[in-house]
Amino acid sequence: MNEQTSPEAKAAPQPASTYIDAELYTWLDAASEDFRAFDPGRVAEIDGVHSLLASEARALDDQAFGPWLDLYVADCVYWVPSNWPASSAALTVSLEFHDRRRLIDRVDRLGTGLAYSQLPPSRTARVLGMPEIWKHEDGRGHIRARAPFVMGETRAGENRVLSGWNGYVLRQTDEGLRIVVKQVNLIDADEPQGNNSFFL
Amino acid sequence: MNMELATTDRTDGAWDQVVTDTRVHRSVYADPSIFQHEMASIFAGTWVYLLHESEIPNANDFRAARLGSRPVIVTRDAKNQLHVLMNRCTHRGATICREKSGQAATFTCPYHGWRFKNDGKLMGVPGRDAYGNAFSRDRFSLGRAPRVESYRGFVFATLNQEAPDLETHLGQARFFIDQWLDQGGGDGLVVQSSAHRFHLKCNWKLIFDNAGDGYHVPFSHQSLLKMTADRYGGGDMTYFGDADKSSMRVYDLGNGHTLIDQREEMYNPSAWKQQRPQPGRETFEGSVAARKPQDEQSSTLDMAVGSGMNLNIFPNLLLIGNQIQVIEPLSVGETILTWYATTLDGVDEEVNVMRMRTQEDFPILGETDDAANFEACQQGLMSIPEEEWVDISRHVTTNTDRAERDGIVSGPVTSDLHLRAYFRRWKELMKVKPNIQTRPEGDAQ
Ligand code: FES
Ligand SMILES: [Fe+2]
Repeated sequence: MNEQTSPEAKAAPQPASTYIDAELYTWLDAASEDFRAFDPGRVAEIDGVHSLLASEARALDDQAFGPWLDLYVADCVYWVPSNWPASSAALTVSLEFHDRRRLIDRVDRLGTGLAYSQLPPSRTARVLGMPEIWKHEDGRGHIRARAPFVMGETRAGENRVLSGWNGYVLRQTDEGLRIVVKQVNLIDADEPQGNNSFFL
Repeated sequence: MNMELATTDRTDGAWDQVVTDTRVHRSVYADPSIFQHEMASIFAGTWVYLLHESEIPNANDFRAARLGSRPVIVTRDAKNQLHVLMNRCTHRGATICREKSGQAATFTCPYHGWRFKNDGKLMGVPGRDAYGNAFSRDRFSLGRAPRVESYRGFVFATLNQEAPDLETHLGQARFFIDQWLDQGGGDGLVVQSSAHRFHLKCNWKLIFDNAGDGYHVPFSHQSLLKMTADRYGGGDMTYFGDADKSSMRVYDLGNGHTLIDQREEMYNPSAWKQQRPQPGRETFEGSVAARKPQDEQSSTLDMAVGSGMNLNIFPNLLLIGNQIQVIEPLSVGETILTWYATTLDGVDEEVNVMRMRTQEDFPILGETDDAANFEACQQGLMSIPEEEWVDISRHVTTNTDRAERDGIVSGPVTSDLHLRAYFRRWKELMKVKPNIQTRPEGDAQ
């Protein structure tokens, strides 16, 4: 049993997740479209974005999942669509689609040390390209960004390259800038995938 | 004795030596010549699942698929007739259709512009005069599967002119396909919601082996069971933890088809209650509680959960949970496995949205561990020729098999009954040379 988990906490699925609803899906569809739009006029330099994206990538390369989760707000979405361009998450399955609760499920599963797809664990090195950053204020976020990535991965003597681009919705919080949505668009999202049991 | 030699003669006796009721020789998973034999005797000789009709619902829709490792185009012509066409130009062999799916009344080969109707007939040849007067377009129709049949929307094809009809092939499995389709509720199944696609470095049978393996769960999926126990105090599949003691059974349905029935455990008392919470759970629950009469609430919630059945249709269709899994062998050590997501026609949209989240659960949290083990098996089987056998003898001597109705035999869920059953069918098919034909009208090139 996990020491941090008290029996009382188990009574309710932890953490409760009440924010995945029809309105969120509609908003995500719009955000998807916004990520795809090419609009050089809106791109700006905004403080704190580069460092947040760099830290997020670094935390995943280090498999520092605690600090990584701290970069996400409580009502976050981590989303890897199974199509290119991304289709609506309400109507299609995604390679990954997590609220914070399932994100923690995923992290905790790896943490058991018994996830054989990660034995040995993957080593990754992700290179984020220059992000496009723009202001987009609504009830859920303040800033959006999009950055291409190339990720080298090695596991059990086999090297792979994964590539694509990430779309981000960011929110200014009391703790600083945090991630509301990370959408990972693999360039081969609709092709058969190898062992992607780490986080993208 | 080295079995590698024994299989080169391909006599009945040789097949009986490499596959018995207790063990299977490594060459069955590792020998490219046996793989080639399978592509004829099994993936052309018997019915192979291709797609669900809802993927190509309209006249002139098409989707690319594979019949074994043969690329094919499944088309619906202007009159709604289904065709399974070899995706290979009759001129010089180029792949004609290079898109995954779409709408097309005709297909034009990008190389020299030969144009084919979506029923396979050659319609246009640029500069045709140069071929002389004797040139007959009829001789150059696309190759096709001579037999295409569907059962309740599931489309199958075979190249074997003499195969029994599809209903006979499905046999006892039909009853369970009906149950699988009907227990979801709604007006029918729709396969239009994308898929989880995996490229696995293993022989296709390692996937089929696992589809009826109730033994591996607490070991292969230990991380998932432990996480679920730690975070939620159990639920979801924990009944596999002590599966030898459970009342779950695996069923040999004949013709290589099998079933693991988890429904008794999973729906006791409610599949929804046992399920690991998925994104959107609270919203869905709240809405069902607010909008549905009391007596419909539990069944509505259960529509979003898996079927509790692993229904394995030999050789390449696995109905697991609410997904349609399709096995496509590429080579002896390479296979594509696709989990098509499904929705239900005529139900509230929120049921289908919830089904998307529940159908992501296992591919993300479980399948990658299975895949790692399949690939590890392939490595072991390919690399050490001196170690020749894999074991399929679990519960052979325990006298736990039970005769059920209509010739169905069941065993404990941790039995290797599934492997023994499908390998028996595999062997039957490998022993005969089927009458394979891609030019049924005799329009041989
Ligand atoms: S190869 Fe198709 S037209 Fe020549
Ligand atoms: Fe498994």
